[in-house]
Amino acid sequence: MTNETLTLEAVDVDGAIRETAEAVAGDTRAGFLAKAGLLSGGAFGGSTLLAFTAEAAQAQSRSDVAILNFALTLEYLEAAFYTEAEEMGALDGELALFNQVVAAHERAHVRGLRSALGSAAVKRPRFDFRGTTESASAFTSTAIALEDTGVQAYSGQAPRIKSDAVLVSAGRILTVEARHAAWIRDIAGQDPAPRAFDRPLTMRQVLAAVAETRFIRPARRRRRRQGGSNTGSGTSPRFTG
Amino acid sequence: MSDVISVELLDSRTAVSEALDESRASTRADFFRKAIVGGGAFAAGGVLIAGLPSIALGQKSASQDQEILNFALLLEYLESEFYVEAVDRGALSGETLEFARVVRDHELAHVEFLRSALGNNARSKPQFDFKGTTSDAGMFRATSVVLEDTGVQAYLGQAPRLRRQTLPAAVSIVSVEARHASWIRRIVGKPDYDGRAANYPAPAVLDSPLTRSQVESRVQSTGFIQG
Amino acid sequence: MTPGAHAFATGRGGVIAALAALALIAAAALAGAGPARAQQPAVPPQEAAAPPEAAAPQPFVLSRPGKLSRWAFVRRRTAARSRPSASARRVTSLTTRTPEGTDNLVLALERVEVGGRLWVRVRLPILPNNSTGWVRRKDLGVYQSVSTRLVIDTKRFTARLVRRGRTVFRARVGVGEGRWPTPKGEFFVRNRLSGFRDPIYGPLAFGTSARSAVLTDWPAGGFVGIHGTNQPGILPGRVSHGCIRLRNQDIRRLDRRMPVGTPITIR
Repeated sequence: MTNETLTLEAVDVDGAIRETAEAVAGDTRAGFLAKAGLLSGGAFGGSTLLAFTAEAAQAQSRSDVAILNFALTLEYLEAAFYTEAEEMGALDGELALFNQVVAAHERAHVRGLRSALGSAAVKRPRFDFRGTTESASAFTSTAIALEDTGVQAYSGQAPRIKSDAVLVSAGRILTVEARHAAWIRDIAGQDPAPRAFDRPLTMRQVLAAVAETRFIRPARRRRRRQGGSNTGSGTSPRFTG
Repeated sequence: MSDVISVELLDSRTAVSEALDESRASTRADFFRKAIVGGGAFAAGGVLIAGLPSIALGQKSASQDQEILNFALLLEYLESEFYVEAVDRGALSGETLEFARVVRDHELAHVEFLRSALGNNARSKPQFDFKGTTSDAGMFRATSVVLEDTGVQAYLGQAPRLRRQTLPAAVSIVSVEARHASWIRRIVGKPDYDGRAANYPAPAVLDSPLTRSQVESRVQSTGFIQG
Repeated sequence: MTPGAHAFATGRGGVIAALAALALIAAAALAGAGPARAQQPAVPPQEAAAPPEAAAPQPFVLSRPGKLSRWAFVRRRTAARSRPSASARRVTSLTTRTPEGTDNLVLALERVEVGGRLWVRVRLPILPNNSTGWVRRKDLGVYQSVSTRLVIDTKRFTARLVRRGRTVFRARVGVGEGRWPTPKGEFFVRNRLSGFRDPIYGPLAFGTSARSAVLTDWPAGGFVGIHGTNQPGILPGRVSHGCIRLRNQDIRRLDRRMPVGTPITIR
């Protein structure tokens, strides 16, 4: 993994994925949930997406938390991409409408997933879209890739989700991402539905694809120096004075 | 041109068949023991999500999976026959015709997949009367929107009721149905969709599941299924 | 690449290769039903063949001083050109470091796409003052936004910081003597330095993109700074070699409100 921030470790907050999944079958981890302040029963108001019954929340296993954080990472990425494109003024016509609608959807997905995860939610990364939000053609090919990858990511995780309530919510997002994908593909003149069966990808495959874009800025990089300190150097700035 | 089912899906289909077959070979007690020891959610209750119909999960089992897949098969028969007939009737042209051809091939592939997974337990194809909706381009498009949207909602409603081992099959189909729905909505509404979000290819933040009986009554109200 | 993806590739480089890779991974898993349905836009003609002015599209404004301005780090050494074209005259080279040893940054004024390539017109720290040039978007980092704007009036000896249209800071300043005037025009804050041994700069200094037009032999090129002073009594007035001097308590106040990258207008 070349990108040091977006690794399996980053979304697999406490190693749930790397444990053998079978070992946590039936494990409600109620103690962990209580400590993490994760319990979130009932509706979350308005159009919030991921409302669970109290009993469903109790059953939210560590691996489901990891899967939701994986989904949240992808939604952060999409929301940030589309939101930046709104500000960059490179789109018009139906492309601009697509962007506006989908940006709102992805931001809502972020809110819903953060709400469901509570304090267990991963933090929003910082992004660098490298000009892809500033050119209609680059935007279009990037959006196709993001939406198709989102479909494959959700498809890949669905069978691994333990909680039925979480599964329903994931399914409801999956189909919307598929609609996004078909929409932008059609705008671009590509096949909206290239196959009879969509193919899932594993979490690792999706994270690798995302890392290759280099859209997510590394967290631990040397801080950019906009300022300097000459303490101890004895010299002064060479301004004209 | 319909897709050849990939090797992966062949395996998935085989797995699904085997999963459905196993209840015949086991005793009831064996079946329960397998269901519990095999892991995965064994929820006896319903899933209540704010604003949505209560999805009665029932008891997850091979025979329930079979029933669900047969329900899916019925919907896929309906869609595939609708598109086959629409292409044959010759009233479509341009992108509507292209949509009908591609989606027909997809739905036929879905039918083949489900029949093969169900084996001898696959239900038979009923008779359909599409009541002129296949002979008029505008009615075809409107009907397609309903069929595809309903298909999405039907799969979303059934997915949590399936055992997890059967789920990949449904998941690989539902996203394609959603692509179909988006595609035909775009054909109908582009480029500005009359300014109404309800007309967009992606009309909502989330798609909503429907229960089986809600889907059945929607289908019945079309009158397409004869007998 | 799949046929559709190729037509939307916007050029060479790591970014596009990465995008193509991502599209490829996604598309390879999903593709197979045939070629793109509609004709793709043709690959744009070579830049040299097209008359530059006729092909120039409308630039998108990135900075409106005092409302929302954008700056970016210089990601790699690159040429700033007179027009958004690889064949246009090189105005200067932009380096990744400033003479003060900080990471170099530029104010981003406008953006345009020409022949599938993104270009950004940036404010340049060179003589003649008020120079701008076009650089490739890929050679700049992420845009950072500021809503502030610093306005220096060399006749009234005032400094005023505006944020989103409202004045949030005022102070009296010293400016360049007659023979070493503070240059007029549009500039930006390039860095912030502190910890000097010499008290003549006070507790901190802001480096700007402004250059003295007369002290061209000055070490590091004669950049104009905004800094404190150990001679507050001589402010306001024409007192310096071109720098803008504030009393130390005022530069500290300014420091709390003015981020690096802030555009500067000197009248």
